[in-house]
Amino acid sequence: MASLPEPVAALASALGRLPGVGPRSAERIALHVVQAEPSLAQHLADTLLAARQRIRLCRQCGALTEPDPCPLCSDSTRANGVLCVVERALDVLSLEKSNTHRGRYHVLGGRLSPLNGVGPEDLRIDALEARIEPEAIREIILAVSSDVEGEATCTYLARRLAGKGVRVTRIAQGLPAGSGLEYADDLTLARALEGRREIL
Amino acid sequence: MWNRGLELGAWGTLGQGRAVHLSRLRLRDFRNYGRLDADFAPGFHVLLGRNAQGKTNVLESIYLLATLRSFRGVGGAQMIRHGATGYFVGANVTGAGDHEIKAYWSPKERKLSLDGRPVRKLGEYLGTLRAVVFCTEDLQLVKGPARGRRRFLDLLLSQTETGYLATLLRYTKALRSRNALLKQSGPDELLLESFTGELVATGNLLIAARHQLLPRIAPLVSASYQRVAGGRDEVEVVYQPAVRGDFAVELSKARARERVMRTTLVGPHRDEVLLRLNGQSALAFGSEGQKRTYAIALKMAQAEHIGAVHGVMPVLLIDDVMGELDAGRRAGLIPLLQRAHRSGGQVFMTCTEENWPVELASELFRWTVEDGVLKRATG
Ligand SMILES: Nc1ncnc2c1ncn2[C@@H]1O[C@H](COP(=O)(O)OP(=O)(O)OP(=O)(O)O)[C@@H](O)[C@H]1O
Ligand SMILES: [Mg+2]
Ligand SMILES: [Zn+2]
Repeated sequence: MASLPEPVAALASALGRLPGVGPRSAERIALHVVQAEPSLAQHLADTLLAARQRIRLCRQCGALTEPDPCPLCSDSTRANGVLCVVERALDVLSLEKSNTHRGRYHVLGGRLSPLNGVGPEDLRIDALEARIEPEAIREIILAVSSDVEGEATCTYLARRLAGKGVRVTRIAQGLPAGSGLEYADDLTLARALEGRREIL
Repeated sequence: MWNRGLELGAWGTLGQGRAVHLSRLRLRDFRNYGRLDADFAPGFHVLLGRNAQGKTNVLESIYLLATLRSFRGVGGAQMIRHGATGYFVGANVTGAGDHEIKAYWSPKERKLSLDGRPVRKLGEYLGTLRAVVFCTEDLQLVKGPARGRRRFLDLLLSQTETGYLATLLRYTKALRSRNALLKQSGPDELLLESFTGELVATGNLLIAARHQLLPRIAPLVSASYQRVAGGRDEVEVVYQPAVRGDFAVELSKARARERVMRTTLVGPHRDEVLLRLNGQSALAFGSEGQKRTYAIALKMAQAEHIGAVHGVMPVLLIDDVMGELDAGRRAGLIPLLQRAHRSGGQVFMTCTEENWPVELASELFRWTVEDGVLKRATG
């Protein structure tokens, strides 16, 4: 069997590095792009670059945003004093859809994982502590997954934040173990947020 | 005392209606089988053949259907027939209803379906067919390191207690995470403590489950041993947890030593199961035959316990066990196996012509295995 022309193979290999795109899909997309109207490729390239250049992490909360700080951080109608801590920027979107949290957010950028070399200094924990005083934070709600590393991350945060005058709570059951917020439906999230419990 | 387990044994109490058996087996490119299609009735099946013909391979495929693992401890690639791209193992399992299992494995593709639907969660699949295998490696349960005995407990608890496997996986993750932290120079104590919490919470659940299991299987082991050996030896199976008091307290006491050894020193991952024979260690003082009998008794207890918990006897897979016992012990084991099949269960046993158990009378199905071909033997 003859192999793909080099530029197509290169495109397929680049696409194949994206999450959720297997080698076969990558090849199919690449073949489609090189046979479609040139405008398709142009448009794809433009939007790709624009998205990458315009999107950044909010310097305050760490969420994905175009303006910095993000709309959630600058929205004056949202409640101050209660921070919801999540692992990934995507989790903010899941929680916003469930429409239960009216306070602010803070994205950690992962969870503690000694087996993958992720320690406290790799997460946005200093940034979290730095927000407590200026924003007069009274409560920090940890909306982190309930697997081993998630639980350990919560325990770690609760101990580190102890004595800083904030109430640290954990959203209760309802989050399936080992899965991120991404897979929890809105109702589950809403229930979980209402049933939060104090840790330590 | 040791007769008690017999009355409590699952086989006596199980009615025909609750039996489950493998009614059809289909192999494609599995080990030395290009193609195998066989129908099996409930009862006692003996696979007869010279060495290296494919007897054990059949048992391996049945165990694979039950557990999705090879009891030979190999990965999928070794089970693909040389030169083929993937293997297929299919089966019908007949109990209250009829289930159809199809499993295909190749390095590139894995498919598992139950009744025509792809299996998404293993929890929904495991339990369709239950099997216990008896093989020569079982001797390591008695002779080998504690790890094998812990694995025996874990396997049995995973098959009988909902949630045990999930807890075990969490414990293992917490343990590995904690060990990774201890390997770092000057680990962050707060960070270590955070993983210790998970370790203690899940570890306590494992310890409690093992504490509950042991008194339930100990009489079964003892009863099976007596049956096979004929009752002179006294058999005692004793759980010896590494944690005697409070897990969290013992861990914190071990902190200084952990700093030196750089690994987690206490916890259920250090548990032991003592196998006593006439008051002494079977490993240190037992004869080869006694150790073999002990290993068989442990497996028998496993089968009975699974049967008691689920109300359905597992299929027994007996590989090369007969040839290693003396005539008396063989004569003791056979009725145990027959008891299993008479209660509606199913037994598959491999044999060579030389160690054909003459004690086995008429009530059995004879099969011959020759160079990857399984045939119903006549007469
Ligand atoms: N992946 C494979 N492809 C083809 N043949 C294989 C494969 N794996 C093992 N075999 C063959 O299968 C045979 C061994 O089968 P098996 O272990 O079932 O023998 P057995 O009948 O149990 O023999 P024994 O009485 O010695 O235990 C050997 O001939 C071996 O070469
Ligand atoms: Mg064999
Ligand atoms: Zn923000």
